[in-house]
Amino acid sequence: MATTACFIIVSRNDIPIYEAEVGSATKREDAAQTHQFILHAALDIVQDLAWTTSAILVTEMLNAFSFFILTNKKYWLLQTLLNPLYLPGSRIVSSHFDTKVRALARKYL
Amino acid sequence: MANYLAQFQTIKNSCDHIVIAVEDVSDLWPNIKSGFEERVPIKRASLNNKTRNPVLVENFPCEFILTTDSRLRSRFPQEQSLFWFREPYATIVLVTCEDLDEFKTILKPRLKLIVQNDEKEWFIVFVSRAHPSNDNAVKMAKKVYAKLEVDFSTKKRERCCKYDIHGPEANFWDDLESKIMECVRNTLDRRVQFYEDEIRKLTEQRFMPVWNFCNFFILKESLAFMFEMAHLYEDALREYDELELCYLETVNMPGKQREFGGVDHGDDWAALLNHENKPLTQIVQDDSFREFEFRQYLFSYQSKLLFKLNRPFEVASRGHSFIIGFSKALTLHENMLPFCMREVWVITACLALINATASRNYDGLVAPDIEKEFYRLKGDLYSLCRVKFMRLAYLIGYGADIEKSPVNSALLSMLPWPKPPVWPSVPPDASPEVLEKEKVILQATPKIKHFGIQRKPLPVEPSVLLREANRRRASLSAGNVFEVFDGRPALIDGSASDASSRIPLSKKMNTISMLRTNSSPGTFDGSVDRPMRLAEIYVAAEHALKHTISDADLWKALSSVEEFEKKYLELTKGAADNYHHSWWKRHGVVLDGEIAAVCFGHGNFDLAAKSYEKVCALYAGEGWQDLLADVLPNLAECQKMLNDQAGYLASCVKLLSLDKGLFSTKERQAFQAEVLRLARSEMKDPVPLDVSSLITFSGNPGPPLELCDGDPGILSVTVWSGFPDDITLDSLSLTLTATFNADEGAKALRSSTATILKPGRNTITLALPPQRPGSYVLGALTGQIGQLRFRSHSFSKGGPADSDDFMSYEKPTKPILKVFKPRPLVDLAAAISSALLINETQWVGVIVRPIDYSLKGAVLYIDTGPGLNIEESHVIEMETCVKISQSSAEMMNCKGTQKDCSLAPIKEFQQLKLHNGRIEFPAWASDTNSVIWIPVRAISDSLPRGSSSVTPQKQSNLDGMRTIALKLEFGVSHNQIFERHLHFTDPFHVSTRVADKCNDGTLLLQVILHSQVKATLTIYDAWLELQDGFIHTGQGTGRPTSSFFPLMISPTSRAGIMFSIRLGKVIDKDTSFIHKACYYVETKHRAFNVIRSKAVQGSCHGTLNDLMSRLKFEFASCLKKFSWITDEVEALETESILNIRYGISGERTNGAHPPVAVDGIETEDARQDLLFKSAIVLQRPVLDPCLAVGFLPLPSTGLSVGQLITMQWRVERLKGPEDNGISEHNGEVLYEVSANSENWMLAGRKRGHVTLSTIQGSRIVISVLCVPLVAGYVRPPQLGLPEVDESNISCNPPGPHLVCVMPPALSSSFCIPP
Repeated sequence: MATTACFIIVSRNDIPIYEAEVGSATKREDAAQTHQFILHAALDIVQDLAWTTSAILVTEMLNAFSFFILTNKKYWLLQTLLNPLYLPGSRIVSSHFDTKVRALARKYL
Repeated sequence: MANYLAQFQTIKNSCDHIVIAVEDVSDLWPNIKSGFEERVPIKRASLNNKTRNPVLVENFPCEFILTTDSRLRSRFPQEQSLFWFREPYATIVLVTCEDLDEFKTILKPRLKLIVQNDEKEWFIVFVSRAHPSNDNAVKMAKKVYAKLEVDFSTKKRERCCKYDIHGPEANFWDDLESKIMECVRNTLDRRVQFYEDEIRKLTEQRFMPVWNFCNFFILKESLAFMFEMAHLYEDALREYDELELCYLETVNMPGKQREFGGVDHGDDWAALLNHENKPLTQIVQDDSFREFEFRQYLFSYQSKLLFKLNRPFEVASRGHSFIIGFSKALTLHENMLPFCMREVWVITACLALINATASRNYDGLVAPDIEKEFYRLKGDLYSLCRVKFMRLAYLIGYGADIEKSPVNSALLSMLPWPKPPVWPSVPPDASPEVLEKEKVILQATPKIKHFGIQRKPLPVEPSVLLREANRRRASLSAGNVFEVFDGRPALIDGSASDASSRIPLSKKMNTISMLRTNSSPGTFDGSVDRPMRLAEIYVAAEHALKHTISDADLWKALSSVEEFEKKYLELTKGAADNYHHSWWKRHGVVLDGEIAAVCFGHGNFDLAAKSYEKVCALYAGEGWQDLLADVLPNLAECQKMLNDQAGYLASCVKLLSLDKGLFSTKERQAFQAEVLRLARSEMKDPVPLDVSSLITFSGNPGPPLELCDGDPGILSVTVWSGFPDDITLDSLSLTLTATFNADEGAKALRSSTATILKPGRNTITLALPPQRPGSYVLGALTGQIGQLRFRSHSFSKGGPADSDDFMSYEKPTKPILKVFKPRPLVDLAAAISSALLINETQWVGVIVRPIDYSLKGAVLYIDTGPGLNIEESHVIEMETCVKISQSSAEMMNCKGTQKDCSLAPIKEFQQLKLHNGRIEFPAWASDTNSVIWIPVRAISDSLPRGSSSVTPQKQSNLDGMRTIALKLEFGVSHNQIFERHLHFTDPFHVSTRVADKCNDGTLLLQVILHSQVKATLTIYDAWLELQDGFIHTGQGTGRPTSSFFPLMISPTSRAGIMFSIRLGKVIDKDTSFIHKACYYVETKHRAFNVIRSKAVQGSCHGTLNDLMSRLKFEFASCLKKFSWITDEVEALETESILNIRYGISGERTNGAHPPVAVDGIETEDARQDLLFKSAIVLQRPVLDPCLAVGFLPLPSTGLSVGQLITMQWRVERLKGPEDNGISEHNGEVLYEVSANSENWMLAGRKRGHVTLSTIQGSRIVISVLCVPLVAGYVRPPQLGLPEVDESNISCNPPGPHLVCVMPPALSSSFCIPP
């Protein structure tokens, strides 16, 4: 069964700032909400983890997660967030970032 | 051994506590039984657990059973070893004896016999029946007991205790309990050891073919059971865990495939908490057990122990993973299980777990995080149950009643269909049900979303049920499947879902009718070859489920839509509540939304709205717009139904402010239409609405609008409209907030006219009334659409309103308006600082310098001060000022945008007219520096006076000062008044000096002309009108040699003219009058002579009369002339007048310049000769002095302090009495000696008259005795003659200015002379 991985970066205030759907399955346009829903609900779990594990990175830096943890992801993430022009909370619209994420996804999925 | 399974089961059920055997040797038990049994259960007992660590057990249960009891007697030895756990754990030997001999001979051997069995743990209770009052008996009993102790107790172990039947000793019971427990502990240890050995032996053989799981199980469970009996639940639980582990290993061993189980009726009803569900003998299979039942059996024991350990949380947590794991196992064996067995089992299992854990109240017993986790697990269980329940409901045709929300879609679309080996087919007699279902399908109206939102419903199935069901029917080939979809190819694609709810009603009607024609109603009898239709699938599933489900409650919940909803609501609520308790707010709130959907369906809009609001707030707060877009229309509809206009409008606005891509333009237009419809027609009362997310505004980029205090302006603001269409605002107002003056309050700018906002960017201009000085930022935008009062607080970031960003980060607000503090807006300055010509019409330049302010339409009022005239008839000139670059340099620096005046190449020039003292500024002068040239004339009546070089006269500039008052009116009521001082002056300052006194009495009078103006003066002519007593030498007219002229004088330089004069005779006034009068009379002499001669000639009367009148006339003229002469003599010249005819050539921009021709006909060539008159006072030379005062020399030894000296002055008369201008009294002269009293002490007369002979050369010495008081150079006393004019005194030689006074001489009495 072809799987679709939906990768969303969520900012500190739980706002989705980046969204990418990667995977081999054909896109179901009506499933976008479902993906969002699942990820949104997953925030509950992330929050629980943040509470219990007190991992500073999770709470302080970014609630970044995805269905599949991409190993190199953090690097790119940080680079984006270190961009002085980045306004906290705004969406990441850089196409460069998008390409990189997709490439990494292909590599690791 | 497996044969013992049934017996094992029975034993387990019959005994649940430890047995203590009582060997009643002396028939005492009935008497003391009650006392013993009262001690049970033993309050505190210490046991060893499996790892031989002491464990404290409270309320340890046990039972005393006599060894003669049938329960202990009738056991075979083999049974005993196998079920050893039920054998007594201690043996109490009850004895009594009152005689030593009896003890020795009878009792002791008997006891020895009893206790010789090593297996037993025993101790002896000696019961004393002796009454305490009977001393003998007591003594005897003591003796016997002592003997008993000697015989049976060892050093290592006390095995005896004494029980006094008439009153046991205080510590007897404790002693007894400890002895019992010691025995129990020992026995338990030994038996655990035994079981462990056995188990180890079996475990070692595990991979041998002879290995039997049942045997292993019996041993293991026996051990576990023993632990349980001893209340060592932890150990028991561990045994069960090991057992489960071992079982799972064996059951999954390849090659040993056994029956799974679960095919019996009632198996669907999960027995994971019901260990008595099925006897083990029923589930035994070969050498093991059926997985389905046995795993539930194990879990039931584990949960039972966990409950006993008071750990329901662990039950829930283990239960959840058990259900997940077991569900997987069910999936593996699904093709052998009844239809939907897995789903039903999961539902019942979840419910059982929930009920079991909920029935116990453990609140507050555990740490908050465990409790949280517990709730979370329960939420998960509810949720799991809910999903499976929905799946079943969908299968029997309640799909239309399942909300197609993201949560349901997420849960159901990824949950595979059940995979029965053969999909159930329609039972033969079910055609009425099929018809019924079809009717329901037909009647089901797809839910139309509010606002006519067209959106594909989210799938609540993994693939199309119709295809899935037909595919799984054995006889249907894949090719046949497509017959089902014939003519409906759109439904075959993977994304298509339930056909009935998907296609519009009209289309569906066609489809159904087409199906009708294809298959007659008679073919409902379940022909296997024909693909099943949806209704048939539903009915078939329903029948199959009915067969599967043994839980009546569950079946009831699926029996009708209403029941389904009831159960669905219950499960959803349960899940939501538990998630809320576990702080999984997102899960909780989302499920609240599902409850809301049901409430909504039932018309309970109030509840629905409340829940939807929570969901929307969650999504909106975290910015999940896709999800918000799904829920928000529902909320809006609820609010509409509830007539909550404010809420409805707010929802519409929120919908409009969501990402543009989430709704089609048509939908967005529908939102807008709703807003407008409400605003314009429906609402009775004004409703406030916050549209911050939809309408944003910002000031225009660039610097803020800058205004001066009191000026109105026009403010331009960019407003972004998020509406899809143009929207007409009835009114619009914008508040301005002062940035540094909080209490000032916001000021609203109103635009009362209707404004039409286009989608996107709009520029709106608002009239700005005068504001107070300060810096202003935009506050809020308010406006009105019909009855709707909207308000927006958000600033746009200069781009399209980024409405998807709900986070409100503080944007530094840029001031949009700056109102400056009152400041000079314009500067009026005199163009030149150098003096202008007085009494001549001169151009006065006034520089008008606007300071960052437009002077459009400015009017200048000119008012002259005293002594200043404006030539009104003359034009006033105005031109661009180019010369002020220096003065305006600093202004340029701070204002880059201002046109640089000095660089502006266009030089404007204009002639203006003065009307009633006002000049209107031309347009070009509004922004640039300009200079206005006004012709003025300073009037001065006084004649300038020359000064003597000997006594230079101080020049006073005040004489030439004139003030011009200027009032400039410009802007809005800005008028500024300026007073500028203008400096006027004569062209020259004249000073005179007698250059030389010649021997012949000629005086050379040098007249020095000092030019006062910054212009070149040219002297064409100069002449001197001398006063009385001076005359020009020679025959000259008082003019210097004409060849000197014209004489050029450069600005502010000097020139000199020499006049040659000499002293003339001073004419007395009376003499002059007589002289003149006589002269006149002499001139009249002839006229009188004529009259006399005519009168002498005698003539007619008429002639005489004529002569008389003639004479009268002459007399009158004479009298007149006399009065004239009197005036003339009175006004006899006392000063000379210097006349200078000159011309001036100068620039008005520099200072003095040729006077303005008033008539304006002046030609450039025409030389304008100006006349300058200056009075010069010439003094006749002073007479020679008549007295001489000389200071006689002081003694040569010098002066010293305290030394008496005589100061002497000699006064000598230089002239005789005839030539003496001094008034004297009988030749006496008044003298006065003055000295500083601090320096000098004077003795003698300081003032007095001395007689001095009036003869020339007479002299007298005046001496005064003085004592110097201080040392140093001091001013000596001075002699003054107060009655004599100083000019008449000649001091020759002049007295010393300072004299040296030495310090006083040292006294010789004390000093040795050198």
